[in-house]
Amino acid sequence: MAKNELTNRIRRLRFDNGEMTQQQLADRVGVTRQTIIAIEAGKYAPSLPLAFKIARAFGKPIENIFKYEDESA
Amino acid sequence: MIRQQKIAVTVLVVSLLGMFLGITVILMRRLIPDYPKTAVAFGGFILAVGVIVFVGRIKKDKGAVTFDERDRLIEKNAHLAGFGAVYLLVILVSYLPIGIAPEAKIPTKWFPFLLPIAVLCQCFAQSMATLIQYSRGGKDGEK
Repeated sequence: MAKNELTNRIRRLRFDNGEMTQQQLADRVGVTRQTIIAIEAGKYAPSLPLAFKIARAFGKPIENIFKYEDESA
Repeated sequence: MIRQQKIAVTVLVVSLLGMFLGITVILMRRLIPDYPKTAVAFGGFILAVGVIVFVGRIKKDKGAVTFDERDRLIEKNAHLAGFGAVYLLVILVSYLPIGIAPEAKIPTKWFPFLLPIAVLCQCFAQSMATLIQYSRGGKDGEK
């Protein structure tokens, strides 16, 4: 069975943006800190609207933050 | 631990306590014919009131947002797990007696007890599913 994985650069980008805390990012995009923790750890795939909000919070296109790796491809 | 996890732990402990009390009452009915029914009922009432008061006193989490799309997904999956557990219970209760003793008879006064058993089963499965899903969220290290 093919394994799909969504990786992200949120942790790196937080530190590049003035060492933004998880709570600050969470407040900016309207989710809980636990959700940011889960997304950073790759345990939770955010919805498309949330992914766009995170991308806008960093001022970058969505594909610069999230990367979809499909082993079957 | 966030509010939803605290509530799930409380419900899990109470449902386990409820199962234990239920088994104790069944054993008491068998072993002691004149067991104090009023005292047991009062104990159950006090337990139920205590749980409601305790859950009501669990404080809301800090932060602007306390419930988001991930919490909604976890809640939905937990409800599904609870529903699935009750469904399994119904299947078990429907077919197990036939498997154990096909020719035996079951007193009809036993059937109302299926409702509290189903409630306990649903509460147990739902809170377990909630706790398992939150535990998979990643390490809660930095702020």
